[in-house]
Amino acid sequence: MKTGFHVFLAALIALGASWCGFVLAPVLQLGTEKQAAVLNSSDIYPIQRPGDATLGLQVYRASGCAACHTTQVQQDGVSCEIALTSLGKNQPQEFKKFIASLLELPLLNSRSNSVTAQLQDWSGAVPQIIVTNLDADAANDLLQHINAAGCKAEVHVVATGTDTARSWGTRRSVAEDFLWDDPVQLGDIRIGPDLADVGARLGNADWQLLHLYAPQSVVKGSVMPPFRFLFEVHKEKIAGVPSPDALHLPKELAPPAGFEVVPTDDAKNLVAYLLSLRADVPLYDAPFTALQAPTNAPSNKK
Amino acid sequence: MSDEPKFSSTQPDAGPTAARSTLPMWIFSLTVVLLYLGAVYFDHHGGWFDARVYGPYASAEELDSYQPKSGAAAVLAQGRKTYEMVCGICHGVDGLGKPGQFPPLAGSEWVNAKGVQRLTHIPLTGVTGPITVKGEQMNFPAGMAAMGAALSDSDLAAVLTYIRSSWGNKGGPVTADDVKNVRAEIGGNAQPMTGDEMMKMPE
Repeated sequence: MKTGFHVFLAALIALGASWCGFVLAPVLQLGTEKQAAVLNSSDIYPIQRPGDATLGLQVYRASGCAACHTTQVQQDGVSCEIALTSLGKNQPQEFKKFIASLLELPLLNSRSNSVTAQLQDWSGAVPQIIVTNLDADAANDLLQHINAAGCKAEVHVVATGTDTARSWGTRRSVAEDFLWDDPVQLGDIRIGPDLADVGARLGNADWQLLHLYAPQSVVKGSVMPPFRFLFEVHKEKIAGVPSPDALHLPKELAPPAGFEVVPTDDAKNLVAYLLSLRADVPLYDAPFTALQAPTNAPSNKK
Repeated sequence: MSDEPKFSSTQPDAGPTAARSTLPMWIFSLTVVLLYLGAVYFDHHGGWFDARVYGPYASAEELDSYQPKSGAAAVLAQGRKTYEMVCGICHGVDGLGKPGQFPPLAGSEWVNAKGVQRLTHIPLTGVTGPITVKGEQMNFPAGMAAMGAALSDSDLAAVLTYIRSSWGNKGGPVTADDVKNVRAEIGGNAQPMTGDEMMKMPE
């Protein structure tokens, strides 16, 4: 074969180029990813998951949760809001007219193509969000005008998109969210809801256990299969006194008298993992204004 | 069906022949235009491979414009930056210090004090000799140099505000004017103070 060397060279280049694209470039880009500072706080994110949650990730993986659930919140856009915190000596109605006249200035709207400032209907009480749908430059311009008028206001950054509208998260998922996950369970099909922020949304361990045992009993019309192999049915150790772990089941699901349903360690670990999924802190990569102090600690509610 | 391909009947066995011809100009132009549009799109959406630029943000500059930069948040960010550069080496980025060597700032009664007089003195003059923090007597032989004397009023105020509101501390903010006043009071006489000397000052 005269062209053997050329075939080898062509194959090497083809495979080498895809290896560079799929392996080398991501490692160069994200290989040194480390914990990041939480905006407006001295905390770092993400903190290492507790041991039971780390084990729970393997139960999540083994139970095939990623086949129906994603853990990545998408974000389509970002917008700024102006929250008025003090009116100073201005009259609310006059001030509203002033803001409305500012919004008509071409200066504010011409900067961004996709964002249109909207004046909110507001009563004059503070603090209150008075203008939404601004881009960062327009918001800072408007803030200067408001400050010059003797009022005090803040710029709030809001992540927008269909996922955040479903309250699946307050910001998009970023690489830091998966820092402690091995393997990363991104998931690519959403038969169920996204779980990136489930610990913040549904932080009750009892609810989660009941939901795993009998999904339809807590979510009407759910298509999730029950995960009963994560539970054990056995005789109450002391007749009439259920063990502290036993599920509080509705009558139609309850085991016969004298028996109880208790979660196995796997179920408890899986729930600990679910509760540790909290992507609710603002980061440099995904800024937003947290209206309440966020907690990136796993919930201790049991 | 008028535009059905017609086959010539004169040469039924004619096979395809190869002819050398130049690349049509329109294919060349189209390729150049597509490459140009692709490059423009990449420039607008690629984020230049910056690992921190995601989704709705097109570039690091756009991402920067959405970072909190007004009010308390900016002061804390400035304070954290300076703290980690100047103070964190000894007191730790977690504010816990080193037992017996460097006093902790987290939960320290010196940091959380109502007034900021004593606290502001510490970075401006330095500390020598024993000092009691959180009930533990620290006796660090080298003392603390006047680490904050070279910082600007606003930088030092930001650092003090940062340590007073981090790691569970609940002290109020420190303004640049506070620092300015203390600096004026010290004047040119910046001798390291002992803990007992500072306790004699008003809070």
